[in-house]
Amino acid sequence: MALSAGQPDALREELLVRAPATARRPRHSATLRQEAWLAYGLLTPTLLVIVFLVAYPFASAIYLSLQDKMVGAPGRFVALDNYLDLLRDEVFLRTAWNSVLYTAVAIALKFALGLTMALVLDQERRVNNFFRTLLFVPWAVPVVIVALNWRWIFDDLSGLLNNFLITFHLTSDIISWLSDPRLAMGCVIAVVVWSGTPFYSMTFLAGLQAIPKELYEAAEIDGASVVQQFFFVTVPRLRTIFLTTVMLSTIWTATNLQFVLILTRGGPASRTEIFPHLAYTTALGARRLGMGAAVSLVFFPLLVVLIIVLTRRMLRQADE
Amino acid sequence: MHGMHRRDVLKLAGAAGVAATGPWWRVGRSQAQRAKKLVFWHLPNFTPLADQLQKEQVYEFAAKHAGLKESEVEYAVVAGEQANAKLAASIEAGNPPDVIRLYESNVQFYGAQGHLIDLTDQVNKMRREPKGIFESSMAAVLYKGRALGVPLAVNPWPVHARLDLLEQAKVEYPKTWDEFIEVSKKIQSPPRLFAFGMCLGLVEDTTDNVMNLLWCYGGKMVESDNKTVVMNSAANVAGVKTIEAMFKTHKIIPQGAISWDNSGNNKAYQSRQAAFVMNPSSIYAYLDSNDKDLQKKTGLFPVPAGPKGTVNQIDTWSYGAFKKNPYPDIAKGLIEYFMQPANYDRIIQSTGGRWVPVYKRLFDSPFWREKPEFKHFINMAETGVPVSYAGSPTAAAGEVLNTHVIPKMIQRVLVDNWEAAKALEECDKRINEIYARHNKA
Amino acid sequence: MPRTRSGSRRLLKWIGNVLLVLLLVWTLVPFYWMIVTSLKPDREIYGFEATLYPHQPTLAGYARVFTTTPFLKYVRNSAIIAGANTLASLLFGCLGAYALARLRFPGRALIARGLVVSYLVPPALLFIPLFAVLSVLRLIDTHQGLILTYFSFSVPFSTWLLMGYFHSVPLELEEAALVDGCGRLGTLFRIILPMSLPALAVVAFFAFTQSWNEFLYANVFVNSVEVRTITTGLTLFIVEDVFFWGPMMGAAFLSALPPLVVYLIFQRWVVKGLTLGAVKG
Repeated sequence: MALSAGQPDALREELLVRAPATARRPRHSATLRQEAWLAYGLLTPTLLVIVFLVAYPFASAIYLSLQDKMVGAPGRFVALDNYLDLLRDEVFLRTAWNSVLYTAVAIALKFALGLTMALVLDQERRVNNFFRTLLFVPWAVPVVIVALNWRWIFDDLSGLLNNFLITFHLTSDIISWLSDPRLAMGCVIAVVVWSGTPFYSMTFLAGLQAIPKELYEAAEIDGASVVQQFFFVTVPRLRTIFLTTVMLSTIWTATNLQFVLILTRGGPASRTEIFPHLAYTTALGARRLGMGAAVSLVFFPLLVVLIIVLTRRMLRQADE
Repeated sequence: MHGMHRRDVLKLAGAAGVAATGPWWRVGRSQAQRAKKLVFWHLPNFTPLADQLQKEQVYEFAAKHAGLKESEVEYAVVAGEQANAKLAASIEAGNPPDVIRLYESNVQFYGAQGHLIDLTDQVNKMRREPKGIFESSMAAVLYKGRALGVPLAVNPWPVHARLDLLEQAKVEYPKTWDEFIEVSKKIQSPPRLFAFGMCLGLVEDTTDNVMNLLWCYGGKMVESDNKTVVMNSAANVAGVKTIEAMFKTHKIIPQGAISWDNSGNNKAYQSRQAAFVMNPSSIYAYLDSNDKDLQKKTGLFPVPAGPKGTVNQIDTWSYGAFKKNPYPDIAKGLIEYFMQPANYDRIIQSTGGRWVPVYKRLFDSPFWREKPEFKHFINMAETGVPVSYAGSPTAAAGEVLNTHVIPKMIQRVLVDNWEAAKALEECDKRINEIYARHNKA
Repeated sequence: MPRTRSGSRRLLKWIGNVLLVLLLVWTLVPFYWMIVTSLKPDREIYGFEATLYPHQPTLAGYARVFTTTPFLKYVRNSAIIAGANTLASLLFGCLGAYALARLRFPGRALIARGLVVSYLVPPALLFIPLFAVLSVLRLIDTHQGLILTYFSFSVPFSTWLLMGYFHSVPLELEEAALVDGCGRLGTLFRIILPMSLPALAVVAFFAFTQSWNEFLYANVFVNSVEVRTITTGLTLFIVEDVFFWGPMMGAAFLSALPPLVVYLIFQRWVVKGLTLGAVKG
């Protein structure tokens, strides 16, 4: 994993901009030019992919968001009208709040649960490998299936939860998990957490196992308690991994459409409406491609800002 | 990451802009020069037999009447939920299927944009069959006097009702909504059995169910001019209040209906957890092939009456053919082939009551006449109105349906506890915005 | 905190075991429901007659998966697409990452950052323009088309991951090889890659599972059974508005197995790859 990016500075501007170490040797400009050509050659497939499969569609989307284009009809240039309409709509604020809440809570829970899993699996125990595989299982299941399966668990009339609760007389009324405005978002987040936690535990566990045992022994000799060991030995060593995992997971969580689409479609009464779903229904339900692109793009800078803030804060801590 | 400033994003976007030499939807044009072939998108028909028959007919037609080899036929199965996304993408790329089944307003949506082939001749041919066709189905396909689609079938939305439960409680099928509530309270035994499996989720069926009830109270969405939105009316307030009372006071609708998808009411009825549901006869067709016992206990009735009588909904699926196809005659030929009464009747009957034949004459067959369940069907098919009533299934009406404006309104009342009038006012505003936008364009 | 070390250890172990049980329940119960649903007759699936375990277990759902759907074809297609995408991402990722990690050229920082930014663009935004790209290339409804579109997420990701790893390979080894006349590509394949095997396993693993699980593009870009992948094949159980949960859960369960097998095979290297990265941190 990018954890890979292993070293904290791999993520840092300094490293990205710093000339590679091979440049230490003085070289002629001809060699340099040759090196540049080789580099572009090696990067050609990657660049083609980025330009044609990401940048070009992305630019199209930006251009599209400035038009009133519907599916099947040519669009008219309307400048920023789509964005202005969107910002004026009260649905926008609600969706923004939901999106932030959904992402933040899901990430926090995945983090807590993933760290717990990793710590538990890092303990000495027979057949730990077996447990590790079992706990990893949700990551291997396609999101579409995860969401469908959970909808079947939440089903008010035929689902596992209500059947279980009623069979064991834990409740007499059926609970409408996905219809109750107080529960719906929680249910969606639970599914996201179930599906995404193994990624955290996997990377955290790798980090834990890489910490030399001598560090703990030394800390113990100094009289550090288990809690102190955790905060002064474990956490600092895991910071980079925390950072990378959270960043990737934030991207994956915030842009995911399928959980909401399959579980709640944004309901009840817009309680679970988030940007990817709003964009999808606008572009394909209402067939307003221009507006749909605007919805997606409005949410894009939010994501970029979120990630910059996140990575900055964590890096600053790491530097302390 | 640390170094990812806005200017980098801009730089990147700039680089991408250079790459984007023009609007991307134009590039699909090269696709028009394609080899001779027939592209048909099949939307499943509910029974495997009907699907099989239809597939056979496509290949039969291609071989015998269009001179196409098997390899020149592209037959794709597209499940209902995916159809809209796929169609949108394919049209944008200039590469739509040649023939596809289109739902209601899709005909007028794509027709108004000039994408669909004029099929008036085909429809006129059908009209010349003895007894003709159910003209109620024409509302969906007519655009400026031309038929841009061929109505495939008329789909009444009867109330599926549990006869055994009515009998047990010694009551008749309710004539009015007031009676309906009283009967419901008698026969239900929550949480195992709720009386009314009304769709209340953010899906198309909810708009259908809600509007049908509002019509009985004299309400409607838009006037027949397809311009004047009349959602915010006293009649609609009364109708919405009835739904609110059924949900909150009488508790005859399960709370879970708020998060149902289009299959929610089907599933509730098929698993014997709802006594009444308003749905096309797809439920009946399912029971016909999967649960004969429940089928025997099921009656199909018109919707109960409100203060303004009873109104029944129909919806219409149509075949459409896209102009992009360089071989329009093959596409038209396929549709005509499907609609030849002999071919057509086989498929319709194999769906076990899912589709009501658009040809009136075929409705006279024993299949439809001998079953008491279908007693009300002919009247419903004759007099039924589309969900966009009093307007027609225009592109604007389609957007109202697809964006769930009316389900959101009813959830405002049932979930957010808004006053009916306030929710309808908000809804009226949204629908007005949609109609205004479409009428301007 | 307990006073004695061994006491504290024992307490921790005890807490750990309890937590492990709870975590296993949380993780496995949804699977349990998926599997029992696939083994039940319809009558036990729907309604309050729905049972907590199958009273009359049946394989009818599975039989239906194999007899009425081209399930194995879907599996084959997913395997082809995920496999090819994995191999190509590895190759492109290695080449690109090497350039970014070791060579000096104008635009290097911009490209490195572009990798991350491109990973941020939501697929829901890209799929219609991508449809146009594929139409021009005549790749709609082909395996190649889907493999190509999956590059949009797997190639930048692989390149970015490997770039981090290559930075961590000691430069001295490479310089020695260069002096020996190995050439740039020679060093990449003979020195760096062998040292990065665990990293390659991580990349392969992510590329494979992400391609296997992808839904949106597979849904829009593919029409025919010959190309349809397993995630979209599953949704064909949803026939108009009636769900067939039994067979669908059976198919769902089966389709989750290949990524699990891949994980089991790669597990050792994946964990090592992740650990290696961590050591450097």
